[in-house]
Amino acid sequence: SFYRPHFTGCRSREQETFRCWWSAGIFQNLTEPGALRVFYQTKNFLSEWQECPDYTRTVKNECYFNKTFTQIWTSYCIQLRSVRENITYDEACFTVENIVHPDPPIGLNWTLLNVSRSGLHFDVLVRWAPPPSADVQMGWMSLVYQVQYRVRNNSHWEMLDLESGTQQSIYGLHTDKEYEVRVRCKMSAFDNFGEFSDSIIVHVAQIPSKESTFPTTLVLIFGVIGVVILLVLLIFSQQQRLMVIFLPPIPAPKIKGIDPELLKNGKLDQLNSLLSSQDMYKPDFYHEDPWVEFIQLDLDDPAEKNESSDTQHLLGVSRSGSSHVLNFKSDDDSGRASCYDPEIPNPEDLASLLPGHSGRGDNHPLVSRSSSSIPDLGVQQTSEVEETPIQTQPAVPSWVNMDFYAQVSDFTPAGGVVLSPGQLNSCPEKKKEEENEKKIQFQLVSDGAYTSENTARQLSASVPPSPGPEQGYQTFPTQAVEGNLWNGEYLVSTSDSQTPYLLPEAPPAPILPPVSDYTVVQEVDAQHSLLLNPPSSQPAICPHSPNKHLPAMPTMPMGYLTPDLLGNLTP
Amino acid sequence: MSRSLKQVAVLLVALLCLDPHSRVSSAPICTHGPSGCHVPSLADLFDRVIQHSARMHSLSNDLHSEFEQYFLPSKNSIGKIYRKCHTSSILTPNGKENAQKLAREELTEVILKLLMAWRDPLFQLHQSMAHQQDFNSFSSNKALEMGDMTHELRKGVEKVAEKMRVLGMLGNSVTGLSPAETMLPISDSGEAMSNYELLYCFRRDSNKVQNYLKILKCRIIPEHDC
Repeated sequence: SFYRPHFTGCRSREQETFRCWWSAGIFQNLTEPGALRVFYQTKNFLSEWQECPDYTRTVKNECYFNKTFTQIWTSYCIQLRSVRENITYDEACFTVENIVHPDPPIGLNWTLLNVSRSGLHFDVLVRWAPPPSADVQMGWMSLVYQVQYRVRNNSHWEMLDLESGTQQSIYGLHTDKEYEVRVRCKMSAFDNFGEFSDSIIVHVAQIPSKESTFPTTLVLIFGVIGVVILLVLLIFSQQQRLMVIFLPPIPAPKIKGIDPELLKNGKLDQLNSLLSSQDMYKPDFYHEDPWVEFIQLDLDDPAEKNESSDTQHLLGVSRSGSSHVLNFKSDDDSGRASCYDPEIPNPEDLASLLPGHSGRGDNHPLVSRSSSSIPDLGVQQTSEVEETPIQTQPAVPSWVNMDFYAQVSDFTPAGGVVLSPGQLNSCPEKKKEEENEKKIQFQLVSDGAYTSENTARQLSASVPPSPGPEQGYQTFPTQAVEGNLWNGEYLVSTSDSQTPYLLPEAPPAPILPPVSDYTVVQEVDAQHSLLLNPPSSQPAICPHSPNKHLPAMPTMPMGYLTPDLLGNLTP
Repeated sequence: MSRSLKQVAVLLVALLCLDPHSRVSSAPICTHGPSGCHVPSLADLFDRVIQHSARMHSLSNDLHSEFEQYFLPSKNSIGKIYRKCHTSSILTPNGKENAQKLAREELTEVILKLLMAWRDPLFQLHQSMAHQQDFNSFSSNKALEMGDMTHELRKGVEKVAEKMRVLGMLGNSVTGLSPAETMLPISDSGEAMSNYELLYCFRRDSNKVQNYLKILKCRIIPEHDC
C-alpha cells in the first residue's frame, strides 16, 4: 500500500554508486526530515543494520551510497524505519547490478545520408556518445542503445533495434516532415533502460526537382493508352483478316448423306458403291476424268502474254500464282475444298472424295498456287459454271470420247490453254464430236477446287477457236514426280528435251488426231516400275459399262491411286 | 573471433559425443611455429575470452528470465531477493576499485576458481532440466551450451594465464588450480539448490567473470587510459 511510508526506488547510474528514495505517504507527521530513517544491510557476512551513510541534503528523502558503500554482486536490504515509533514501514532487497539505469547518451546529432531520386524520402545517420558517467572504455559497463523517432507531435514512437555501437541509420524518412529522435541505453544482458536523451529535430526540406516525375508518368500513361487504342483500332479494322489468320476455316465434306469418316477411311470400292448410289454422282463421270485440274490464268492483262512464251507464262502463273489471281478470296488454302464457291459444289465434293487428295495441289504440275475459285472467272464463264456440270453431263457432247486426261499443247494469248485431244476410245457413241475436241480450252481453276472435264468443256464452249494443236507436245518442265503414283500418269521430268510421255503405238484409226503421247499407268510391278497401258488397247475406258469396270477397279487405270490400291497392285 | 568459435564448435561436438565429464584436451593448431601460422597476441586472446564471457553471461540472463516466468519469485519493486550461492565462499572483489586494486595473479586465480566451481553444477543443471517436463528442449539446450561455454572459457583463461606467465606478466604465485575442492551447491537449509537458485547464482558469477576479465585486460594491456 502506498499510503504508508515506502521506498519509491533505488537506482545506480554507473554501477559504482546508488541512491534510494522514499515517500512518507499520507502520514503527515513523518514528513519532517529525520522522522524516517533508512537502514541497510549487506548480506555479506555482516548482519548488522547500518544507517544510510549519506542523506542527500539537496534532495528530499534520498539516501546516497557512494563508492565506498557500494558493493556490486552483493545483496542489499534496506529498511525504512521510524525510529521514534520503532516501526519498520518498508523493506527491500536488491543487488546493485540489477538496479543500474544508465545515464542518457550525450551528443546526439544527425547527418543526411542521401535523398531519394524523387526527393520525397531521405536517410539520416544518427550519432551519439555514451554517457560520461559510464566507464565503457574499460568495459565496466557494456552498453546497448535504443533509438526512437517519431513525426513531431505524433504520439507513437518508432523503435529501432538495440545497437551496441554509437551510431544508427534511419531510413525512409519523409521530406518536409519534422522528426524527433532520441536515444537511451541499458547494460547489455540487463533489463533496465536509462532515461532518454533530449530529442533532436530532423528535418529536410523538399527540393523541387527540375525534372519532376509528374510529366514522366503522364507521358507513360498516355503512351500506353495510345498504344492500346491503336491496337484496338488495328484489330477492328483487320478483323476479317485476323479471323482468317487466327481462326482458319475448316472445310467440311459437303456430300449429303455420306459419312465423312467413311470417305476418309473406306475402301475405294466401298466408296464407289456408295457414291454410285447417289444420284448426283455418275460413275462414268467418275472414272473418266475426275482429276483433271484446271489452272486459272489471268484474263485481265493480255498484253503481258504476248511477250513471254506461253509455256513460261504458264509456268510463271503456276509459280507466282498469287499475283495473277483474280481476286476472289484471300483464301490461300491449297488443296482444300474451298467453302466459298457454292456455284460448284460437286467438283469440290468430287475432289474431297478422293482420299488424301487435299494438299496435293502444289505438287501437281497442272495446278497453280492461285487461290482463285471458279465463281468469279468472268462474266462469260460464270454463266457456264453455274450449271452443274455433272448433272448436265448428257448434254456435253465432245468430251465423252476423250480419255480422262489431256495434254496441254498450247496457250492462247488470251490465257487459255489449248489441249491436244487425247486418243479417242473406240466407244461408238463417242465418235460424233471429234471436231470439238480439238480445241479445248481449259479453265484452270484453283488448286483447291477440282472441277471435271465436263466443267471445263462447258467453260470452253464459248471460247473462240484457237490455233490447231501443234505437232510437238508442250511438256511441262515441272518437278519430277517419280515415285509418286498419285500423279502417276504424268511422268514428267525436268528436262525439256525428253518427252515424258511414252509414245504408244500408233492407233490404227487414221481419222483420229495424232497419237497421244501420254498413257495410263496400268499397274505397278514388283520393282515398283510402272507398267503403262498403251492407249489403243484400252478396253476399259468405255463408259457404257460402268458396272463392269467398277469391280475391276484395281486394274483399271484410274489415274489416282490410293496407297491402298497401290498395295493391291503390288504383286 | 571466428577461430574461437570454431574451437567451440569442434569441442562442443566432441563433448556431445563423449561423456561431458571426460577431459578434453585441445591440440594446438599451429605446430610449426610462427612461420605458417598466425599466433594470436595477448590482446587478441583477451578479446576472445571477453567476448566468450559476454556470451555466457547473456545466455545465463536469458535462462534466468525464462525461469522467472515459471517461478514468479516474490519480488518487490526494487530488485531480486538475496540467495546464497555456493560460490559465496570464494572471496571476490565486489567493486571496480577493489578489483583494480587486486593483484593480477589473484584476479586471474579468482576467475579460474569461479569457472571451475561451476563446472559440475552446470552439468547437474542441464541434467535436471532435461529430465523435467516443464522445460522445452530449447531451455535445456541453452543449459547444455552454457555448461560447455563455461568449460571453454576456463580453458581459454588458462591459456591466457599461460601466455601471461610466459610473457612475464604474471608471477609464479599463481597456484595450480586443483579441482579437488568441488563445491557442492548447497543452500542454507542444506538441500540441493533449485534450478532457479542455480541460475540466479550463475548469472551473478558470470557477470563477475566478465567484468574481472575486462579489468584484467585493462591492467595487462595498456590502452586508452582505462
